[in-house]
Order: sequence, then C-alpha cells, then structure tokens
Amino acid sequence: MLIDVKNLYKIYNEGQESEVRALDGVSLEIDYGEFVAIIGASGSGKSTLMNILGCLDIPTYGDYHLDGVDVTALSDRQLAHIRNKKIGFIFQGFNLIPALNAWENVELPLIYQGVSMFRRAERVEEALERVNLADRARHKPTEMSGGQQQRVAIARAIATHPPIIMADEPTGALDSRTGKHVLEILHGLHDEGSTIILITHDNSIAATAQRVVRISDGRIVYDGDREGAGL
Amino acid sequence: MNLSQAFKIAAKSIAAKKGRSALTMLGVIIGLAAVIILVSYAQGQNEQMRAYYESLGTNVINIEASGPNSKSISDALYDYCLELDDLVLGVTPQIQMYNQTVVKYGAKTLDSYQSNWEESPQVVMGNQQYSLCNNYTIAKGRDLAYLDVENYSQVCVLGHKMAEMLFNYADPIGKTITINGYPFEVVGVFAQQDPQNMTGKDRNILVPYTMTRVLNSSNSWSAFVAKAKDGPSTNRAITLLDGFLKGLVGESGYYYVQTPNQWQEQGDEQIKMQQRFLGGIAAISLAVGGIGIMNIMLVTVTERTREIGIRKAIGAERRSIIAQFLIEACMICGIGGLFGIAVGYIGTLIVGKASFNLILFPSPGITAGAFLISVALGIGFGLYPAIKASGLQPVVALRAE
Repeated sequence: MLIDVKNLYKIYNEGQESEVRALDGVSLEIDYGEFVAIIGASGSGKSTLMNILGCLDIPTYGDYHLDGVDVTALSDRQLAHIRNKKIGFIFQGFNLIPALNAWENVELPLIYQGVSMFRRAERVEEALERVNLADRARHKPTEMSGGQQQRVAIARAIATHPPIIMADEPTGALDSRTGKHVLEILHGLHDEGSTIILITHDNSIAATAQRVVRISDGRIVYDGDREGAGL
Repeated sequence: MNLSQAFKIAAKSIAAKKGRSALTMLGVIIGLAAVIILVSYAQGQNEQMRAYYESLGTNVINIEASGPNSKSISDALYDYCLELDDLVLGVTPQIQMYNQTVVKYGAKTLDSYQSNWEESPQVVMGNQQYSLCNNYTIAKGRDLAYLDVENYSQVCVLGHKMAEMLFNYADPIGKTITINGYPFEVVGVFAQQDPQNMTGKDRNILVPYTMTRVLNSSNSWSAFVAKAKDGPSTNRAITLLDGFLKGLVGESGYYYVQTPNQWQEQGDEQIKMQQRFLGGIAAISLAVGGIGIMNIMLVTVTERTREIGIRKAIGAERRSIIAQFLIEACMICGIGGLFGIAVGYIGTLIVGKASFNLILFPSPGITAGAFLISVALGIGFGLYPAIKASGLQPVVALRAE
C-alpha cells in the first residue's frame, strides 16, 4: 500500500470554544498507480487532508504510513527528504518563485536532492519538454500565462520522478481550455505509472478519475468508483 | 546541497531583488562610512593637538609677572632666572607686539590689521636664547647674538612662512625690511616649525627685546620663557620661581608660572572627552544604520516566508534554507561593507584635507571593528526571518500573505 491512513484528526484550538475539527477521523488507503480525486465543498477538509498526505502539515492524531514508513515519527529533515523524493506538488496558485525563471524553478528540487549539474540539465529539459515548454525555459513566471505557469509547476513536480503527484485544485485558476490541457498532462503521467491524487470541487474534473473520495465536515462520506459517486 | 549551490541560489536571489538589496547595502554603507569618518576626525584632531603641544617644546616654563612697578619686577625676575643656571638652560624675555604691525619689503606690504590671521605678521622680541627656549632652529644665516641685544641692533630673524611671504624664495639674508617704518636687517631665517600654520610660529619676526622701546608704545616687558634642563628641573624651577614671584609682586601684583606640560595634561583630558563624545555619535550612527538594515530585512519577512514555504514544499531542508539566507545576507552586507569602507576612506581624506590640511587615514582597527559590527547586524536581521520561517510547517509558511 502506498498511502495508509488510519483515524486521522486535525483539530485547531482543541478544547476551546473555537475548536475546529478540519479532519475528524479519516481512514484511507491508496495503492500504487491509482488516480484518486478527492472532492468536497470548500471548508470540507479536503485541502487539509492533502497537506497532511503531502507532509506539508502534521496531523493532531492518527497514523499515516507512506510507502511503509510511519510518517508521524519522522523528523523535520526526514520529512523534507520525503517531500523532495516521493511527492510532486501542484498548487492552485502555482507557487513558483517569482525571482527565478522557468528553468531555475524546475531545477530547484533537483538541487535540493543533490543531483549533479549535468544530470540536472537533462532532467529539467526532459520535464519541460514533457509539458511542452522547452521554448519558454528562460522566461520568468511573470512573463507567462497562467496555463504556462501551471505547466512549469507540473514540470517542477515531475522533475524528480516522484511516485506520487499531488494536485490541489490545479485548474482552479485557469480557464477551461488550459485547465483541460493540464488535466491531460496529469492523465498522461498516470498512464506512465504515477499515482495521482487530485483535489477539486469541480465535478467534471473529478469525473475523469477512476476513484472518487468525497469529504464533508472532515469525514469521508463516499469512497468508490465515479459511477457510484453520481458523476 | 553543497556550498557552491547555496552561493548560486543566494546570488540569484540578490540579483532578482535588486531594489531591496541596494537599500540594505545603503544602510550598511552609511552606517559604516559615518563611523569611520567620525572616529578618524577625532583622531585627526588628537594628532593635531599633540603636534601643537610638541611644537611648544618640552621643559619650557612660561613666566609672567606684573605689579605696581613692572620695570623693576621684570629686571629682578630676569636676574633671578639667570641665577638658576643649574636648573635652567636659557631664559629670554618674550614680548609680543600687540599694536598694529606693518612690515614692508620693496613693494610687498604685510599689515596685521589688514590681512587674514593666516597671513598676519607677528613681531616678537627676545634675546639670543629665544630660539633655544621656543624650539626654533636656524635654517639660514645666523641667530640673534648677545651683542645684537646689547647694542640695540636693528636686526631680525624671520619665521619660515614670513620669509616666504616677503621674499618669495629669494634669499632674504642681508636684505632690509621695515617694521612700522623702522629698518631692520634680516640676519637669519628659522626652520619650518608649523607646516599647518596652526600656531603662527612661522609668521614670527624676532627682534632684540631691547628694540621694544622703539616698537612698542609701552616699554615695559614682563613675560619670559625659560628652558629647563629636564623634567625634574622644570618642576623645581617652577617651585623656586613661584616663591620668588610671590614675594616680589606683593599683595596687589599678578604673576604666573606654568609649563605647557600642564596645559598638555588639560588638553589630553579635553581630547579624551571629545573622543568619548565622538564615539557616542559613531555608536548612534551605527545604530541608525543597523535599524535601517533591520527595517528593510523585516519588511520582507512575508515575502520571504512564502518563498521559504515553497522551498520547503519542494524538499528543501531547514539548514539549506538557513544557509541560503545566511550567504545572501553575508554577500549583501559584505559588499555594502566594502563600499562603506571605501566611502569612509574617501570621506576621511576629504575631511582631513578640509579641516586639518592633513592626509588622514582611518585606523585599521576602527575600520575592521565597524565593518564587523555592521555586517553582524545585517546578517542577524537578515537571518532572523529565515530562521523563524524555516521552522514553520510548510503549509503555514505557504499561507503567508
């Protein structure tokens, strides 16, 4: 099992009047090579779940095993290595570093991984070609359209060949045509063997996934194929 | 991540944020340059005071006395000084001409009432020991002689600058100048004493003190300078003179015995106070520069926090983030510091030339100290947001708006 989560809780201001249970006892298993869409209204806890699955945040309670490793027991440094090697992130707001050009943004996770300069150049080129942006490598994010920026972000996510790609509303800031293009890239990556976890509130996008997980008020209310979800 | 990568990332980050980097550097430059210039200024002043006291000579005793009968006081005092020959190497009357002094040679006229202080002639009257007591040496010609004094000779010895102003590099020896209409033959020129023209010693014209009857409206003289053999003799001579003068001038009289060494002690005290004051100003300017650096660094915390969140999300370890920001702060403050030192040195040269007419250089110790402090401030404040933000969960850092 790639992802194995049991009784996961994320509670803010616990024990106070203002207590918020963003995740309220979530258990979930995701296997290698799946394409899972996590859907739910805004505030349902789907982003919190993805942040914890992606080791960007830590749960208040619960077990999380990633690829057989107990993530909750890891140090800050070990978590950084997991984010670097196992997970590629794609965010709604792209989260590129504005001072760096496309090439340098894609190169960054490889630098942190300690890949040699020669190998880095190969991988960056490969990743940019995969998203059809080899000709825009020297442009800064501010000189690119939203769709292009998101493709740079995808290239950055796949440059390290991580087994899992996590995308949080990847098409949320894009028009439907460029959104569709981004989705096609994700499906292509899935076909090549990557595990894709996609967070969205857009049913038409969720409908392209094999498996759909619906979250409401921090609990999983549906987990099954897309037909059963009524999509 | 290796060090050269950290350098590359830091350099890219600096180049991408030119405005902020430049402002931060400016803070370092101003703080550092201000400290260097101020402290160097204080040191220049110190140097100048020391040179001044040195030019007054050591083991010199200044004596002044006046009373109901100035003439007899002067005669008695002079005779008494001559008696102290086991303590005193020489003694001379020291009279300055305070009324208008007009010195002419050919078409050249110097008038003490018309010219600037820097070019004003000053007639002093003494005997053949005047140069010994006042630290003069003869550069050309001869000194005053005993017979010049005895014979009321109308001769004079010129200070270095006075000779230059009147004769403009021609040889003055044997020429005749006039002082207030009276002719005086130039017999000698003193060596340069005071290149900065601070004390006016090089603008003096020495004539035999017996000429005071001719040149001064009053013919009383009551000021002397004695040169003692060494430090202990100076103190003993002062004690003896003090007792002698007390008896001589009586209740209604006035007298004064002092050595410039005593002034020097007072002067040193003054210099110390001034240095403490300037040190305070320097500390304030460094603090102001530091606050400037801090402001610019803290303003960008949000921007940096988000960037750190992104870097953490794609797998940067905390230590590589801190290394990047440390190198960035070091580079900005280091470059700013070097510029600051350059500005400080140039400023010091300009200030030294303008205020003291000296080639002034800041001391390396002060420069290094101020550099280290301002760089440490910059690094401290530059690193603070990085240390804070890199300890956050990535999701918290990413949320920074």
